[in-house]
Parts: sequence; structure tokens; C-alpha cells
Amino acid sequence: MTVVSSEVIALRGITKRFGSLTAVKSASLSVARGEVHALVGENGAGKSTLMNVLYGVHQPEEGVIEINGSAQKIPNPRRAIALGIGMVHQHFKLVPSFSVAQNIILGAEPGPGPRLRTEEANAQIGELSRRFDLELDPRVPVRDLPVGLQQRVEILKMLYRKAAILILDEPTAVLTPQETRELFATLRRLASAGTSIVFITHKLKEVIAVSDRISVMRHGEIVRTIENAGVSPADIATTMVGRSVILQVAKQTAKPGEAVLDVRDLDVYGDRGLKSVAGVSFQVRRGEIVGIAGVQGNGQDELVAAIVGARRATAGAVTINGVKLTHASPLEARKAGVAHVPSDRTRVGLSQQSNVWENLTLGRQHSPNLGSGPFLDAGKVLARAAELIAAFDIRGAGPATLVSSLSGGNQQKVILARELDSDAGLLVVDQPSQGVDIGAIEAIHRTIVKMRDAGRGVLLVSADLDEIFSLSDRILVMYRGQLVGDLQTSLTNIEEVGRLMGGVIPDAIIPPADPGTGALHVR
Amino acid sequence: MSAEPRLLSRWLRANWQGVSRPVLALAAAFLAGGLLVWALGSNPFTTYAQLLRGGLDGWPNIAVTLQATTPLVFTGLAVAFAFRGGLWNIGVEGQMLFGALAAGIVGYAVHLPAPLHVIASLAAAAIAGSLWAAIPGLLRAYLNVNELVLSIMLNSIALYLTSFVASRLLKAPGPTNKLPDILPTAQLGQFTMYSQLNAGFFIAIALVIIVLAFNTLTRRGFEFKMLGLSPRFAHYGGLRVRSSMVQVMLISGAIAGLGGAEQTLGVYRAYFDGFSPGYGFDGIAVAMLSNNHPLGVLASAFLFGALNSGSSVLQMTTNVTKDLVKVLQAIVILMLAAQYFGLFRFRLGRPRSAAAAPELTQVSELSQVTPANEGS
Repeated sequence: MTVVSSEVIALRGITKRFGSLTAVKSASLSVARGEVHALVGENGAGKSTLMNVLYGVHQPEEGVIEINGSAQKIPNPRRAIALGIGMVHQHFKLVPSFSVAQNIILGAEPGPGPRLRTEEANAQIGELSRRFDLELDPRVPVRDLPVGLQQRVEILKMLYRKAAILILDEPTAVLTPQETRELFATLRRLASAGTSIVFITHKLKEVIAVSDRISVMRHGEIVRTIENAGVSPADIATTMVGRSVILQVAKQTAKPGEAVLDVRDLDVYGDRGLKSVAGVSFQVRRGEIVGIAGVQGNGQDELVAAIVGARRATAGAVTINGVKLTHASPLEARKAGVAHVPSDRTRVGLSQQSNVWENLTLGRQHSPNLGSGPFLDAGKVLARAAELIAAFDIRGAGPATLVSSLSGGNQQKVILARELDSDAGLLVVDQPSQGVDIGAIEAIHRTIVKMRDAGRGVLLVSADLDEIFSLSDRILVMYRGQLVGDLQTSLTNIEEVGRLMGGVIPDAIIPPADPGTGALHVR
Repeated sequence: MSAEPRLLSRWLRANWQGVSRPVLALAAAFLAGGLLVWALGSNPFTTYAQLLRGGLDGWPNIAVTLQATTPLVFTGLAVAFAFRGGLWNIGVEGQMLFGALAAGIVGYAVHLPAPLHVIASLAAAAIAGSLWAAIPGLLRAYLNVNELVLSIMLNSIALYLTSFVASRLLKAPGPTNKLPDILPTAQLGQFTMYSQLNAGFFIAIALVIIVLAFNTLTRRGFEFKMLGLSPRFAHYGGLRVRSSMVQVMLISGAIAGLGGAEQTLGVYRAYFDGFSPGYGFDGIAVAMLSNNHPLGVLASAFLFGALNSGSSVLQMTTNVTKDLVKVLQAIVILMLAAQYFGLFRFRLGRPRSAAAAPELTQVSELSQVTPANEGS
């Protein structure tokens, strides 16, 4: 695992903005010949954007790209491929009805002349797959291959185009553990043959397993590049989620009342049919903020979905204000007293093509204060919208302003205003400050604490550990679908929570690799 | 002094797309149509003048125009209501046929005193249209079947089923494929000697006002709009998305069915096989031009009605055939469809939102385009 000194890729001070959002902020990265370089970070940290800059998909506003020591402009992927850069996207770009060989040569058919030399291509691909020890029959249609082999086709496609630099965007997201191991063996083999590999992921075990060096991205910046040797998952976890600017919210000690949320032995399955939440039990009381910490993808999303009625639990119970939820329906959860600030702000939490008053009204349209009988009173609706805009300091907005024209922070305030302007006893806040500027974060945090002091229970889910620490009275840690810690914030520290998030669980058996199989040990 | 221009400019800014799109589409259609007429050797200006005169000059022509307008108000309103709720109801033609058939059956087979008989026939038409619309509605809501394709296919089934009833099952004696004449008690009164304009016109106007009030004043109308703009947001906001989708289709189908009743009870006084020249399909054009707004439907239906009635006069007085109007309609639809799918974007000033959304979100939106994504 020695790093050869020759530098193949050097990104210096890359900055990429989308409108007012800075996705990548003066990021610098260097990758050597034959190195496997892991790029880790939470969703939205800027990993894919940075790699898309390298691959010519995005043009950086600032910074220099050097390939093999000379500065390059990469206006499009075609240029990137000519420079020997290949990218395997998370979602494969293959033609299902074409054979392996046809997919690989597509756009780079062996010449000369217009004739398609199928046999020649098959022979070439066969030779290529033997050379790199990536066994594949060039004649098989791609649709008949399992996902792991389809990925192999993608990799061969890049090698066929003589890629000396391979970028893999979350390559293991779709793979089984067995396929993952095979991929890692392939990556090591390619690396020892001189290929440089950049490997995007947020799974810490994988990073440790395969990479030579690790760069951690957070909020668009590369905060740290470290040698793999002697690094623990907990180290990386805290680097991934920690925030350099610690925002401390002034708040009194919590005075918890009766339980407003009671979760008992909850099992929830995720989109891929695996058990994502396994036997989770906890309570949230009125007047306290309970934070859920965990590296993304450890079951937090599914847990929240079950509580707000967006996803059905297969076992266990969710009880809100003494009302047990029976259907997976947001309507039922809302009636029981849930207010929900969702993590997918743009598509779930708001209607982008509607204006501010419409977005502030949905969910409250049956309120007796906003009309009588079947009628909605436009005057009252607009007056309430204007009041909320003022109360929550939603900048640049009037009731008729289109929501899509607001900044991320102000869009988040629209959601908060709508959800908090109710008598819901439980407030579920999912990633309240993702993509929100610092100033707005402060306002949002103050509002959440105010709600707690007004006697509501708050369940906070955040990928940002500092946010969890500054807001929560109690911290629950999720790891592979289970609660592995229930800690008083005042009695713990970031290091302890980071260890739990990384799966270092004292006095407990670490759960097996697949949370869907085998008995799991809790606490 | 300064308040009024500011108000006007704010209104224009807010409704710019809603106003500019149909106007641009119409302008383009008339320009292209004019070139076509010119290429065929006629004078486009005199042709358009004849068209205008034929549709609007004097009460006789206006009476014909209003008669042609009436079915388009019904079908346009039905399509627009579904579009606003996010459902591609392209099956309005079939729903209207079933409505017309049901009105025709109740109109001749049931004996009731005059006002009751009309009401019963109208109710039967609304229910029949609703039931036919329920098929794509239910399949869309509960099995996620594409309602656009389904409702198109159901049009043909409706056409041949109603034709079977009118030519075999309940056929009136005689050479014509029609049901027996409805009883006088079921007739919608006509009030001019120049056309078959009848009381159904006022039912259409009343429906426009009712839908307008429903859309803008009621909680449900608000919910349907949110459903159309973003089903995921509506679900999150506590809407029963599936049953709401079915309700939108039922109401849309009922409006279409009433349109059929107007033809049977008011114009023909019996159900005639093949009476519709495609009012349901013209309704799609009317709805697109209207931006799904009830008043827009009224205006668009009147425009198409005037063009249709003017085209008959055109055919008699010049050597341009009435198909010119079909060409104009087709170009309008093409233009609107092109604008709809973003081929053209005409903007008043630069919206700030353009830069805020990274490209990935735009790609994902494309896959879930719903008809109400644009306009209100």
C-alpha cells in the first residue's frame, strides 16, 4: 500500500457554485499513480460535484486541474476521456439489450471505416478482460448480468478507453457484500497495475478496507487528507460530521413532562427490502429535544418515515399523544399531533411551483381559523401568511412570491413556519440546517429551542454532530438500524458519540454485516 | 397616479406565463395560417376578415357561434379540471358520449313532469360520465396505471359501445342510427331561430362559475391544486392522494357527461350515433389554451366556437375550405405543447430561481411531469 510519488491528478483550489449555493469550496486533492484514494463525506458534502468537475461535467468557477503535471481545461467528458479519465456513475449507463462488447465499444468502435467489426470487438474485449482478470463473456446481453458484473462492464468500458484514472461514484451502493469484496479485489489489482482510483463513498468500513489515502469532505471543503494506516472509523466519522464553526444555542436545562412519542420494538424495512430499523424503542417527552445521531444510511430515514406516517412499520408500535398509529398515512400522524420538517425540502416539504401562501397553507387548510365550512377565506389565509413571513423573518418573500425563488434557508423557514404554527405536541425535524446558511441556521435553532420551552417534544435527526450536541438534551445513536446509545448530552462528548456511530460499541457484540439477517444485539 | 401602473405590472409579472403563452400560440397560428392561405393563392387578410365576419357579424352568426361554443365549454372545463388536479384525462370524448347516451335513454324511457325530467336526465348524464372516468381514475390511483394512455383507449371503446346501443340495442325504428326522440318534458329549451342554441348554454356558464368558485374559494379546490402541482407534497401535507385523484376524475367525467346531455337534450332532442365531431378532443385544446382557468376555458371555447362557425361562412364565400380552422387549431396545440415542454420560454425579466436549482433536479422532474405543473 505504498504511495508512489508521481502525482497523476492534482486539483488545486477548486470552487464550484450553483447560484447562491457553493457546492465545492477551494478544494484541493492529489492522487498518485497506482493509488486508491477514498473521497468520503455526507450526502451533499460536494464529493460528486468535485468529481464531476474533474470529469468535465461541471466547470469550476475557480481553481486549476493538473493531469500528469500539466494544467488542463476539461470542458466536457469527451475531453476527460481523452486525458485518460474514466468515471463509473452510481447509476450505470448501459444499453440492456446490447451485448457486453457492444456496450463497451459504443462510441469508440474499432476502426477503420464505418463497418461494425463485431468479431474483432469480441476478441478485443475478451483479451482485455483476461488481461485485467475481470472475467466476462463479451457476447452476453447486459440485461442478463447481475449488478456486480454490470459494474464490471462499466469498468471495462473505461479501461477499453485507456483510462489511467478511474472515478467510482458510490460503487458499492448497489452491490451485495460478496460483490463488494470482488470489486475491492479488482480495485487493488488495477491499482497495482498503475491505475489511479478515486472512490466516492460514505461507508467507513469500505474506506478502511480498500484505500491508500482518505480525503474527507464537509460542506464543500476537503477538511482532511489522511493516510489509511492507523485510522479508525470513529475518527473519520467525527471528521465527516463535525463542524468547524460551533454554534452554541443558549438554552435552559430541559424540564421534561409526559411522553409525547413512544416507539416500541419498531421494525421498518427500507426501499431495498432490507430491515433498516430493527427493534428500536425510545420515548420523547414534552419539553425535551432528543437528537438522533448516526452516519447517514443507518436507519434514521426509515425511522422518521415510520413516525410521520410515510412508511409502514412491519413490527412494533408508534404512539403519539396516546394515539397509536395504525396506517402509514401522514394524515393520521398529523391528526395525532405530529409536525414534520422533512429532509427532502425541495420535493416533499414544499411545492416549488406554488407561492409562499400556498406552501404555508397546505396541512392547515382544514383549520377552522382559515375559513368556514367548505370555504377557505382568502383574506385570513393571506393575513396568516403575512404574519408568518414576519414572525419567522422569511426574507425576500411576500405571500404571492414563488417559493422556488427563495434561498434554501428561507425555504426552510417557510416549512418551519407552517409546521410550528400548530398545536402539534411532537415536532420531528429532519436535517433542519442542510444547505442553509449560517445566519438562518441560528434562527432555526433558536426556534426549535423555543418550541421545546413551550412544552413540545422535539425529535431531531441530523447528520451534523455539532448540531445534535448544541440542541439535544438527550442523544440517541443509531448504528445499522439499532439504537446503540442513549446518552444525556451533558454527560457525553463528541468522541464517545463518534465511537458509537462508527460501530465501536462497548460491552456489545457488533452486529453482523447485513442488518437484515441474523439476530442483533441491542445495547 | 403611480399605484395603478404598478398594480398592472405586478399582475402581469404574476400572470405573465398564463397570458403570454396563449397569445403567442394564437399569434403564431394565425401567422402560419396566413402564410398557408397566401401560398394557396388567396388573400390572408380578406380570408381572416371573412372568418371574423362569419363568426361574429350579427345575431344570427353569433347564435351559431354560441351553439358551437357550448359543448367546448363543457369538454374544455372537464379537461382543465383534471389537468389542474394533475391528471391527464384525455378520455373526455368517451365520457361525453356516455353522458349523452344516458341523457338520451332517461329522456325517452322515463316519464316525469317537466323540470324533474330534465334534472333526472342531466343527473344520469353526469353519473354516466363519472363512471366512465372512474375506470382510468381508479386504475391510476390504486395501480399506478398511466391514465393518459388508458383514457385515450377508452374513447374508442366508448365510441363503439354507444354506437352498438344506438344502432342495435335501443335503436329507434327508421333508417337512422339513433335512439327514440326524447320526450318534450326532457328538452332543454331553444330560444332562437338561427341555431340550436339552448338552455344548456346557461348550464355551461353556471358550471364555469361553480368551478371558478370551487377552485378559488374552497378548501378542496386548494387541495386539488396542490395535488396537481406536487403529489408528494400533498401526501406529506395530509391529503388522501389516491381518493383525491379518483374524485378529480369523477368530477371531470361528470362535467363531460353534462356536455353530452346538452347535445342530446338541447341540440338534437335524441341520441344520434356519431353526433360528436370530436368535442372531447377539441376540449383538450381549449383547456391547454385556457391555462386550466375556468374563465380561460370560456374565452378559448368562444374563440374556437367562433372560428368553427365562421369557417362555414368562409367556405361559402371564398375558395378557402373550412379545414383552415382545423389547421389553425393544430398549430395552436403544437405551439402550446412546445411551450409546455420547455422548448420555448418567454420571460418577463430574469427569475432568480433559474440559478438556484442544480441541473440534476431538472432531469428528475421531467420524469414526473403532470399537466398541472404549469399555470394555475
